[in-house]
Amino acid sequence: MNIICAPQGIVDRNHPGQGIGDISQAGFDCVLLDLSLFCTPDAMEKLGEPMQNTGALRQTAFLCEHPEELYDSLGPLLEQCRRRNVRYTTVRAPYLRRDTIRSDSETFITRLAEESTAICGRTGCRYLIVRPLSAGIPSENLWERNRAFYLDLAERAKKYDMQILLENQCRDYNGHLLRGLCADSGQAVQWIDALNEAAGEERFGFCMDVGVCNICGQNMYDFILALEKRLKTVILRDCDGNNESALLPFTAVKRGESRTDWLNLIRGLREIGFDGELIMDMYDTASAFSPILRPELLKMAKSVAAYFKWQIGMENLLKKYSSRVLFGAGNMCRAYMKCYGEKYPPLFTCDNNETLWGSVFEGLEVKEPRCLMNLPSDCAIFICNIYYREIEAQLRQMGVENPVEFFNDEYMPTFHFDRIERD
Amino acid sequence: MLQRGVQTENIVNDEHPEEGFAMLARAGFSCADFSLNGYLKNTDIYRSRINRFFDQSVAELERFFAPHKQGAQAAGIRINQMHMPYPIYVPTADEGINTYLRAEVARKSMAVCAFLECPYIVVHGMKLAKYLGSEEEEWKRTEAFLESLVPTAKELGITLCVENLYESVGGHLVEGPCCDAQKAAERIDRFNERYHAEVLGFCFDTGHANLVGIDFEHFITTLGERIKVLHIHDNDGIGDLHQIPYTFAKVRENKSSTDWDGFLRGLRRIGYQGTLSFETAPVLTAFPEVMKADVLAFIGRIGEYFSSGLSVG
Repeated sequence: MNIICAPQGIVDRNHPGQGIGDISQAGFDCVLLDLSLFCTPDAMEKLGEPMQNTGALRQTAFLCEHPEELYDSLGPLLEQCRRRNVRYTTVRAPYLRRDTIRSDSETFITRLAEESTAICGRTGCRYLIVRPLSAGIPSENLWERNRAFYLDLAERAKKYDMQILLENQCRDYNGHLLRGLCADSGQAVQWIDALNEAAGEERFGFCMDVGVCNICGQNMYDFILALEKRLKTVILRDCDGNNESALLPFTAVKRGESRTDWLNLIRGLREIGFDGELIMDMYDTASAFSPILRPELLKMAKSVAAYFKWQIGMENLLKKYSSRVLFGAGNMCRAYMKCYGEKYPPLFTCDNNETLWGSVFEGLEVKEPRCLMNLPSDCAIFICNIYYREIEAQLRQMGVENPVEFFNDEYMPTFHFDRIERD
Repeated sequence: MLQRGVQTENIVNDEHPEEGFAMLARAGFSCADFSLNGYLKNTDIYRSRINRFFDQSVAELERFFAPHKQGAQAAGIRINQMHMPYPIYVPTADEGINTYLRAEVARKSMAVCAFLECPYIVVHGMKLAKYLGSEEEEWKRTEAFLESLVPTAKELGITLCVENLYESVGGHLVEGPCCDAQKAAERIDRFNERYHAEVLGFCFDTGHANLVGIDFEHFITTLGERIKVLHIHDNDGIGDLHQIPYTFAKVRENKSSTDWDGFLRGLRRIGYQGTLSFETAPVLTAFPEVMKADVLAFIGRIGEYFSSGLSVG
């Protein structure tokens, strides 16, 4: 799985050095080439209108009207990436505002998508994310118009061997965001399969925007399972579920609980063995933070992205070792045994609670920690207790040299109805 | 004109039920959604506070509801749908409570439904996806519960209706059971084929659909004639507020933020002939008591408007 940082809110298109530097310093080694940085939704909305004292808007509006200049505008950003060994694998084509009132956008959006295809090819990227056309198109014509639009792009994409990714949309209904094109996984699957069939090869895939799923209150587990291998990229962003925003995951909370259904997202991605591109988009959070604090924020964002990668790939960690033991004989151990006990059986578990030593818990013998001194060298110890760092330190102090890993039961495939309560 | 109905909650009381039904008739309604769930409230069930109302025998319950039945008949109101108490399973509750909910509450609800000559009873699916891992596994539990009711439903001529529901994630309301129209349609068909009768149908809840951004027209047309009853109410897309349609606007132009046009297009496309039933009980306590009749009449007027919209084109 490749972690990508979206540049919105971090990188200034005209002075990309500091932003790319911060991204690189935080440990990200890949950025999204998001062309909406250069052709912004706001500029597209105002195309054709007289623009007063809005230099930045005028600049991006110019690029919307002259897409052939886009690649050159990208030059400084690409140069900064090269200097800092920051890669790029994915391009995102410019897109309109959700509440666009333009009915004449098809021509320039098509031109921008065509140019984005060329940029994707010239930069050697694998994926191009292109939102479906919808503004100003009668509902009965949506499929035909999009079919023609995407197949034309596919012809252009062929010579670069890239994939074009459709993205789930919400639509603005008098200020209320409802499910839009490809928000229904059935429709998304149907469109992708029909396009691939028409293209005669697997030229199309899918980019799942978690924020859109969240705004539409969707069951992300079902959504992911329906798309399965078509899913190539996931845009990871948080929001309150009602308003469009791109926040750092785990920050849209109420009374200590996330308002995004991370459980079903992780369950789904884990189940399909997702190994694509995970794009961290925290435009709003990054914009709100002072540039002085942004380097620290980006480090946090990198850790969060790595955490998602770890959670999604949990099974990879379990199967990495030929044998394993657990540390902890409580709810987390119980969760392990319920979900993974059969597939990745532990030799035994151990616990610091001496009253449990010698007992059997969830079919496992509970031993005292010093038994860990006699493990075969390739056996990993999975800590099944929230006091991870304390226990890890305890094991190292004891002289245990085996690999120590953390297990976590926050996003299990299933849960027990009850929890064990012990004093 | 299609018939219009509304919940009995906050209108029909147990002391003088005939007065409430008469008020409904005066407001232009010809149908009622009998709020049986008001006798064992969901808030109490979730707290394992089970009152003893359903301890009564079926004969006692029939005696209890006889004045309601007579009151409705006297006012010319048909009880076209009712709501079974919910939830019918609480994963964190004692098994004794869950057994009671299934064996006593559900079974006796069916008997009351038949006694009131009501053809449709709305049943909530179980909310267990978090524990069981998927909506598919959750449905299996709901299906098993529904199957336990089918022999009675078939015998009494009642159609069980499942409803699109929501779940809460940190206070954010997201889709719950029966929010996938395609799956729901397939499940209803399989169910009815298995029992060679129309024992299962769908209750489309506009408010719940609005909370999770469902495309009304698409959802309704996918389910088609499987939609037997409606729960019509409005909200701001955030909370399950059960308000009067057209109440909420989010933009300066002050246009409704709920897609009522899509709702009407959907019903028109499927040729819906059922009752336009409003699930707007909270409105009646929000307005001053003296305005209750006016508020009901206004809701009824919206029903008339919907009905006229459905007969166009």
